[in-house]
Amino acid sequence: MTAEAHHRYEMVHVRPGYVIVERDLFSRAVRSYFSAEPIPPKEEYREGNRIWKYSGMAQSFQFDVRDNETSEIVKFSELLGLLYYGCAAKDTDIHRIGEIAHENRISIYVAITYEAEDGSRINISEDKIRILNRLFNDRLESRDKKILILPDFFNLYKAVSYGEIMIDFGLTAMEEEVG
Amino acid sequence: MKLQLLGEKLQLKALTKVFDREITGVYISDMVSDVIANAQAGNLLVTVQIHANVIAAANLVDIAAIIVTQGKLPTDDVVKMAEKAEITLFSTALDRWKVATGLYEAGIR
Repeated sequence: MTAEAHHRYEMVHVRPGYVIVERDLFSRAVRSYFSAEPIPPKEEYREGNRIWKYSGMAQSFQFDVRDNETSEIVKFSELLGLLYYGCAAKDTDIHRIGEIAHENRISIYVAITYEAEDGSRINISEDKIRILNRLFNDRLESRDKKILILPDFFNLYKAVSYGEIMIDFGLTAMEEEVG
Repeated sequence: MKLQLLGEKLQLKALTKVFDREITGVYISDMVSDVIANAQAGNLLVTVQIHANVIAAANLVDIAAIIVTQGKLPTDDVVKMAEKAEITLFSTALDRWKVATGLYEAGIR
């Protein structure tokens, strides 16, 4: 039996893939979605009166979480990634709050979610935020260290999911395409 | 094995203060998402990546230290971020394979 088996929650069904960022040719609207296809889709396509054109991508992954007490599987398909406060600009509220928390050995991350087709944010439930917090805190070994994952109270999702700056923004589930 | 001793054995250059933890194992990866999904607390991460996301991911899963290979050097901001998170950052000119064999020869299993 592994050490993780003693934890309440466990990351399962990890699916590598890509976050694809695309742009509407006419309105210049931008949106992003997850693709688990082995070769990331780059084709231009029409959807109603919009033509979506590939704009960029980053490697990423999706996962589910198993509750080891109930065997329930919770899906996190709305989760784009976790933004570490230290990767946000120094003059932002998240950075300022993160600095205060860090002095108390609490590392703050913000759960960034995908956008719906109309550009609005897909919310993540408070229950799921609690599960994420338990999942990552149970994995820690360092004494007194805590992870605090917050919903996106800071409306960071637009800036992050717009693609061009997502790497600079430091989203932990994403990395630049290699090669 | 603790980090201070390991750094001496492999002749690693410490870019931060050495936070002398016992390591629980080694994880070699250049994908941040892979580290989040599969690395374990206390692991030593061997990678060629030097951007801030690596520190963010390492902190999230409580990585003890990172060895940056192939002579790559992170920016001062990234080094400071690691130091603040109490993650020891080492650098070496060796590639990942040579670091892996060096770790094995040092007794890490």
